Parts: sequence; structure tokens; C-alpha cells
Amino acid sequence: MNHIDRREFIKLGLAAGSLLTLGSPGLTTKAFGKRETPQKVLILGLDGMDPRLLQLWMKEGKLPYFQRLARQGDFLPLRTSIPPQSPVAWSNFATGTNPGGHAIFDFIHRDPERYFPVFSASETTGAKKTVRVGKLILPLSGGEVKNMRKGRAFWQILEDHDIPATVFKIPANYPPSSTKQRTISGMGTPDILGSYGIFNYYTTEAKELKEDIGGGRIHPVNVIANRVEAKLLGPVNAFKKDRPESAIEFKVFVDPVNPVAKISFQDNEFILKEGEWSSWKRIHFRMIPTQSVNGICVFYLKQVRPNFKLYISPINIDPGRAVLPISTPKGYSEELEKRFGPFFTKGLPADTKALDNDVLDDGEFLEQDDLVLRERLEMFDYELARFSSGLLFYYVSSTDQRQHMFWRFIDKEHPSYDPALAKKYGNTIENIYKEMDKLLAKAMEKVDKDTVLIVMSDHGFSPFRRSFNLNTWLKESGYHTLITPWKQGREDLFMNTNWSRTKAYSFGLNSLYINQKGREAEGAVNPGPEKEALVREIAYKLENFRDPKTGGRPVLRAFVAKDVYQGPYVEEAPDIIVGYNHGYRTSWAAPLGRISKEIVEDNTEKWSGDHCMAPEVIPGILLTNRKIKAKSPALYDLTPTILKIFGIEIPKEMVGKPIF
Amino acid sequence: MMWIFNSVFGKIFDFIFFLFRNMNPWIGMILISVLTALLMLFVFRFTSNQEGIKRVKNKIKAHLLELRLFKDSMSLSFKAQGNILRYNLRYISYSTKPMLVMIIPLILILIQLNFWFGYEALTPGQETILKVKLEEGHNPLDIDVALEPSSGFDIQTPPLRIEEGREINWRLQAREKGVHDLTFIVNGQRLTKKVAVAQRPLSKISPLKVKRNFINELINPGESPFPADSPIKAIEVKYQAKNMNLFGWNIPWLLGIPPWLIVYFALSIILGFVLKGIFKVEI
Repeated sequence: MNHIDRREFIKLGLAAGSLLTLGSPGLTTKAFGKRETPQKVLILGLDGMDPRLLQLWMKEGKLPYFQRLARQGDFLPLRTSIPPQSPVAWSNFATGTNPGGHAIFDFIHRDPERYFPVFSASETTGAKKTVRVGKLILPLSGGEVKNMRKGRAFWQILEDHDIPATVFKIPANYPPSSTKQRTISGMGTPDILGSYGIFNYYTTEAKELKEDIGGGRIHPVNVIANRVEAKLLGPVNAFKKDRPESAIEFKVFVDPVNPVAKISFQDNEFILKEGEWSSWKRIHFRMIPTQSVNGICVFYLKQVRPNFKLYISPINIDPGRAVLPISTPKGYSEELEKRFGPFFTKGLPADTKALDNDVLDDGEFLEQDDLVLRERLEMFDYELARFSSGLLFYYVSSTDQRQHMFWRFIDKEHPSYDPALAKKYGNTIENIYKEMDKLLAKAMEKVDKDTVLIVMSDHGFSPFRRSFNLNTWLKESGYHTLITPWKQGREDLFMNTNWSRTKAYSFGLNSLYINQKGREAEGAVNPGPEKEALVREIAYKLENFRDPKTGGRPVLRAFVAKDVYQGPYVEEAPDIIVGYNHGYRTSWAAPLGRISKEIVEDNTEKWSGDHCMAPEVIPGILLTNRKIKAKSPALYDLTPTILKIFGIEIPKEMVGKPIF
Repeated sequence: MMWIFNSVFGKIFDFIFFLFRNMNPWIGMILISVLTALLMLFVFRFTSNQEGIKRVKNKIKAHLLELRLFKDSMSLSFKAQGNILRYNLRYISYSTKPMLVMIIPLILILIQLNFWFGYEALTPGQETILKVKLEEGHNPLDIDVALEPSSGFDIQTPPLRIEEGREINWRLQAREKGVHDLTFIVNGQRLTKKVAVAQRPLSKISPLKVKRNFINELINPGESPFPADSPIKAIEVKYQAKNMNLFGWNIPWLLGIPPWLIVYFALSIILGFVLKGIFKVEI
């Protein structure tokens, strides 16, 4: 197996995007939706909203509209998915099944033939047939980008019954499932490089990214005669031999005294003061004379002197000229762009990696997420105003992102707790809940007696204080063997693993796989009773492992996949799904196959709140303006509920039951 | 002298477009294309050898017919092709004179039309860059240039001085509708530059104000020039290029040619051909 580093993994993953310009699917530009429905459904999907925090601030009278809705109808915790990761949870909601029915088990899956991680939600392939002319490679067919979620989404079923739906940014819907309904993809939508978001940072300061976190590129630059010259790297140029990265050159002119700079590239020219964000800027990466890839990004001039520091956001797909499929019909993203101008199209737009790498500070990150939130709120007003029939689903990501990054300011036990910063940013999470209360107020003004209003989240939140190196635990427990033990902790992607003597390994945030003969390339465990016994043994030991520092149990539940999943894709599932306890999560190193030295470590990162735990630790929220009959509703129960409201028969593959 | 000519010539266009300022720019474009087509026909009619053009066109047609009739005879085909080439060259020579007569007025027209169709006025809230370009030998760090506050604009940044380009830049944000005067004090001398905010659909926009100099003034006749002894070479306001929208489709730039120019040439030529019969002009 060749050595492939993290950066190459990202490049390999999805970077064939440039080829797709030639073969993007011919989506209709007509919006669907003819039937006037007597009943309507309005769903607010507030990612990561936590029932305990909601309850607390409702009791304190800080969230009057949530209070009013709970009084009018009902408020219950919502059972989340196993594991409670957003792509898995939202797929449960979209399809009314569990991962056995939709085949999304984790953010990251693995290719057992190569022991190599793959993105779970989508797969991009370049043109199958190409012709080479000198140094050029010309595609004879279009590339393909495929949504890996199986099962039918509820808006596709509504379409079968001529019921209009608008589904705004639901996660795990990239590329959008084939439909005539109005949908735009959310979490899982890549940036223009085909990754989950690579920022660029140009500085005269010596700086490196944190190896485990990545997510960006640091470019050392020099200020010569008050001028900086640099390159902004674009997608891989699949039209050229050796697939070089495309790039554009840009110049920055800084004033010798004033803290101000002018940035100039292509036909763009703009001036920023120190500490200012630019508006969206369009960039064109020329691949061959007739083909270019368009993207949009924002610039942030962090500092002019003493060190020059310029941040450029991940390059988002331009919604006005999308090179990858991000909406159905194709014209929907163009319509939004025409009305609102360019907007964030990358799945999770707030740049948590830049904050974790100290490229942006807390305040700067919040400023960026405010840009995201403002866009979302403006578009919500637009969609709400024209919602008159069928279903509207509207998703907000800021609730999730801010809890991930600012939990350390409400948790005094967190290793990253800083009292001074807590004083400044301690209200950040509360504030975003209040913003959502205002959003709910608008929704409640709109709903009439025939509209079912549902406010839901995919999971709640918990502190992430200690990180558990699952692969290290496997190694220490004798289930995983290294080729060169002294190299432990130095290599990603199991480059130091002796597979013939390894029984189990972990890729992804909650997934554990047995190194099974006939499935894995160098399997060591026989399928059948031997594997069964091993799975139960590992699950038992995991649940009983104690954190040497705290005495707590890092793993609350180790689920055996075939016990908890139903559906045609159970065989593709990880063998064990690890449900972490309150305060614990998988480490930063484990998901991409690195074996650290310690089994449990403090999490000192800014990413301090999380939800990749056992589902009972972090239920989501469910509020409706109707009384809920179900005692313990789950995400997959909402799907049949929607169908029942519109009088549609519930497909038998759905595992959920209506809640009303 | 040049400025007087520019003022008079500019006023002609102000007059032509006066009634159409509040209408869709396409109406103004069609009007000016009709006038241009008429001008071209007029010039062709009175400066070209009309009889000669008619004769060579007939000759070309005859030899094209010969080519079709005698396609089996290689010698006749070659001879016909040679004749077609010969008469084409003669046709070009007959057209040269009117083209030469047209070229200077057409350049002057294009310069004026660029003010009307080339740029989009700023809208309140929109940001732009204002550039003061200095003459050679002047360093932006040494020169005393101040931009006075204006009710029409917020000055959003301190001056950004770029030595290598001999430029001083500011970022402005448009505040109020109207044509505003930006006032600069350069080494004690007051200079102004006009900036247009949220004008009518068809409005005259001058992005560049230049120093007194024949060529400069010829190419940038929108505003009265600076005195010849000014250390300032030009003052520029960055406007966005204007779109020509045809039933929802923005006509794209073609090999660096702006949309309005593509439309203008296409319409003028089409209208010239449509109107040539009425005015009995042979082109």
C-alpha cells in the first residue's frame, strides 16, 4: 500500500470536480409543486439544539417563543441516531430508517480492500473515458458525483403524490437526491477543491497547522516594497497530465503607515482595513481555454503589521454558476444567488478549523458565523413568505457550530476553560438559542391552524473534555499489532500496522471494524462464531474500561451493529458502534487511523463540545404545535409523521411510527 | 481647445439621449444604432463610387454563377475564382474611402457611447475604489493629498499609498443618490471629480478625469481636465461594467469586447442593411 498523507487523501477524495463541469446532470429548471394541500408542515431543523439547555433557558424566560410553542403543543427530547453524527441522524430523518436502511454509518467509511478512509456521504468520479492530446487530457464523458445515502427521502415520496416541498440545506443531501422539489444541499457539500473546506492563510509569521486538525494551508509570504505576491490554489486540473493544482496569482499592496491593504486579482480589486472582512469575491480557475471553474470566497485582513496575516475562506461553489450539483432544480441556487447575491454553499460554512488552528480567534470566528447566520435568516424570510402549500424544511447550522467551539466557556471543568475568555464569550451559546427564538417567532406568526409546526434537532450536546484513542486501546488490549512499535503515534492511515496480526481497527468517529478474512484485504479473523465472539468480547471490554485519570467509563455503550440496525445495508455497517460517555469522545488522531501513545488524553482544543457519544447522552429536541402521542419519539418517527399528515401510506421499509 | 470640442460633442449626445434617460437602455441603444446606420449610409452614399460598387457586385454574382454552371471544367472554375477574388479586391478598394471617412467620427462616437453604456452607476451602500494617479517623479508618500468629506460618500479607509504605481487609493461607500463632486486638495490646489450614484437607467458616467493633454482629453472627454502643471495624472472611480440584458440573458463579453459594443455594432450593421434599400445606397 502506498503512503498517502492527509492532504492527498483529501485531494483524492473528491477533487475530480473540474471534470463535472462537462457532465453535470441535466436538471430541470422548473420548480415542482402544483397541489394546494389542506394541511401544511413547517419544520425548523436546528442542528445540535440541546434539550437541557433549551429547558434551562426556557425556564429562565429567555426563550419566550419556545416556551409558548411548548405550552401550545408539546416539548420532548428526541431520540437520536446510533451514532449521533449529523449525516447519520439527518439520514434517519430523511428516510424514516436507521443506518441499516440508508447506509450512512459515520462521517467516514473505509475501503476494506485498502484499509483506507472514504467519505461516507458522497462519491465523486472523474470522466470514465478520456483522450490524451499532448499534455492535455480531454474527457469524452462527464464525471459523476453520487449521493451515497440509500432509501427514499420524504420529499421524494411527497413528490410522488404531487405535494410541493422546499428542503433547505438538510445535511447528507449532497448531491441533492433526484427530485423536482426545490432543494439545496447542506452539510456534506464540498468546497471547490472537493474537500470539506480548506482555508488559506498567508503570513510572514512562522506558523504551522496542528497535524491532527488540518483543514487549511499556511503560506509563508514576504512583504517586499510594501507588496505581497502569492497564489491561491484551486482545484486539481483534471484536464492536464499529472493533474496539477490550478492557481491564480494575487497581489496585496499595503500602505507603509496606515493599517490598510489593497488586494488585487483577476478583475477584482478591493481595499480592506486591518480586522475587516471582504464581501464575497468571485474567482475563476482556468483549466483549459474553454473551461474554467468558478468559486467564491471571502478575505479577512487579520493584520498588516508587525506581521502580515491574510485569511481566505475555503472557496465555495458559486451558487450562480455551480460547477457541481448543489440544488434541484439547478435554477434554485441561481434564483437565490440572483436575489441575495453569492452565499455560503459549503456544507458547514463556519471555519472551525481556522479557529482550532488559531488562524481566526474567537471573535473573528463569530464574525464569520454571523455572516452565515445573517444569510440564513434573510433566506428564511424569503422562503417563509412564499410558503403556502405542502412542506417547508429549513435548516440552521450555527447552533451546532457554536456549541462545538464555545462549550469550553460554559464548562468550568473543561481543560480549555479560560475564565477571562468565558467572561467575554460565555453567552455565545445562549445568544444563538435566543436568535433561534426570534426565528421561531417568525415561523409562529406564519402558521395557521392547518399548519403543523415542528422544531427539531438531530442531537443535543455534551462536553468533550477527554479524548479516547480507540486504536490505541485496541493495541494495548492486544487486538491491534504494530510493525515497528517505537514508531507508534507517528503515522496516519495505519501505515505502521501489521495486518496479519491485527484483529480490529477503527476508522471514523464511532466505528470499529473487525479485520475479517474475506472482507478485509489481509483479514485475520474468521467470519462466523470466531468473529461473533470477538465482537462481544471487545464490546464488553470497551464498556468496562476505566479512564486512569478520572475513574470514569469513557465508553458508555458499545453497540453491536446487527443488534441495533435493520434493513438491507446492515452488512456494510461497522461491526461495533462506540457510544462515548458524557465528557468523552474519540480522539483527534483515531478517526484517520493514527495510533497515539496514550489511551485517554485531555482535549485541549477549542472544539470543546460534541455529540459523537452514546445516543442516550445527547438526545435532540422536538417541539410541535400538536400534542405528541408517542412517549419516546425518535428522529425516524418524524418521517412517517409527515407522510401521515398528508394522508400518504407509510412505506414498509420505514422503521419509525407517527408521533401524533 | 480640446475641452471646448469635447463639451460641444458631449452635449450632442446629452441631447440625443435626453428623452430616453428614464427608459430601458435598449431604447437608447436602438436609437443611436439607427442614427449610426443612417450616418454610415449617408457617408457611403456620398463618398463611395456607387456605380462602381454596383458593377463589381454584379460581376461577383456573375462569376459565382459561372462557378456553379461550369463546375465540371477545372480551367473555367479556376478562372471564375480568380475573377471573384479580383472583383472582391476592387470592392474593398471602393469601400476604403467611406471607411476612412467614417473612422474618426466613429471613434469619437464610441468614446461618447462608452460613457452612456459602459458603466453602471453606484448604488447607495455600494463600495468603490477611488484612485489618484500621480505623474512620474512624484511619490505618493511625499505629496500632500487630502480628500474632503462629502454628503454623497463615506470615506471608509485612510489613504493607501502605493509607491510603485504612484497611486493613492481610498475606499468609498456611496450614501446619497445624485452626481457628487469629490474634492481633493493637492499641495494646496483644489481639484474635483464627479461621481454618479443611482442615476437613471441611461446615464452618463465618467470614470476617469485626466490631466490636460491632447490624447488624454481625446480619449477621456467626460470631464474638464486638470491643469497641465498638476502633479496628478488622473483620478479614477471604479464602476462596474454595465450589463446588456436581453430577455433575462446578460450578453457576455466577447474576446475583451464589452457587451454594449457588440450590440451597437450588430444593430448598426443590421439596420444599415435594412435601411439601404429605402435610401438607395449600394454597400
